[in-house]
Amino acid sequence: MYSLLFAFCKWLERSPWGHWVGDTLWGYPFVQMIHFSGLSLWLGTNIAVDLRLMGLGRRRQTAAALSENLFALNWAAFCIVVLGGFLLFSASASAYVQNIAFQYKLGIFVPLALTWHIVVQRKARVWGRTPEVPTAARLAGLLEMLLWLCVVTAAVEIPNH
Amino acid sequence: MWEALEQMPWVQTLSGTGWMYASVSVVHYFSIFICIGTIVILDLRILGLTARGQTATQLADQLSPWTWTFLALALVSGFLEFATGAGDYVQTWPFRVKMLVILAAIALTIIVRSNVPRWDRLPQMPASAKVLAAASLVLWIGSILAGTEIAALTGLG
Repeated sequence: MYSLLFAFCKWLERSPWGHWVGDTLWGYPFVQMIHFSGLSLWLGTNIAVDLRLMGLGRRRQTAAALSENLFALNWAAFCIVVLGGFLLFSASASAYVQNIAFQYKLGIFVPLALTWHIVVQRKARVWGRTPEVPTAARLAGLLEMLLWLCVVTAAVEIPNH
Repeated sequence: MWEALEQMPWVQTLSGTGWMYASVSVVHYFSIFICIGTIVILDLRILGLTARGQTATQLADQLSPWTWTFLALALVSGFLEFATGAGDYVQTWPFRVKMLVILAAIALTIIVRSNVPRWDRLPQMPASAKVLAAASLVLWIGSILAGTEIAALTGLG
């Protein structure tokens, strides 16, 4: 199983896109730009809804309205994040899979945060219809923010391991 | 002057303590994502590409406090990161370009925000609004590219 994963990583590194991202001067920062721009839109749309659920900031529109209006952009941004992330991963895949911080990021925090995001997004339609949201919803919004902070922290730690 | 900043005791502590520098990096990444994200959401709304169920004014009203809060956090954390290598950063052109692009982008964002209510009262978004929103979008994405180029071209950060 592990050798199969390793062979796949090596194949990614030797692929034309892996080579382009890993071995050219502008490939890596350009793809980082794609990943970070996607993350800006993904986290921007996520956190705007989370903060509204938490009852912070202005309350002239409900969490449900905000969540529904940003729904399409939210998932479009997710696709950009995944595309950029996949390309960055391809550049040095075999090193990433052995990196403990990367293992935490992709193995634990991203699946947790993503699952929780989907739960919150579905529930926001029910919780967020009125200007005041229930306590459970406030905690749910806070938890999502903290989970994404964990993802960013693990990502920042990748070069240190 | 910049070397002196780098040599200050608290800057030395920051650059010499792994968890401190990492924490500042986390704050910087997290806040630039939310700051730029909320700005670009509004730009895309002005361009008619998202959130058409509400007016640009409604969206700006909801997002503005977060844009400015997280911009402030990004600037403070960014300055702290800069301080740890100030003398080197100021000498590299990707860093200088990044600062210029951010300055222009912030100015443009202020212009866009202050005009949104007026644009919304018109029968449709004027072409000038769309040009400004597109320019804001390009500048903010450009600031990200300038940021990633610092590490790629100079090895700093």
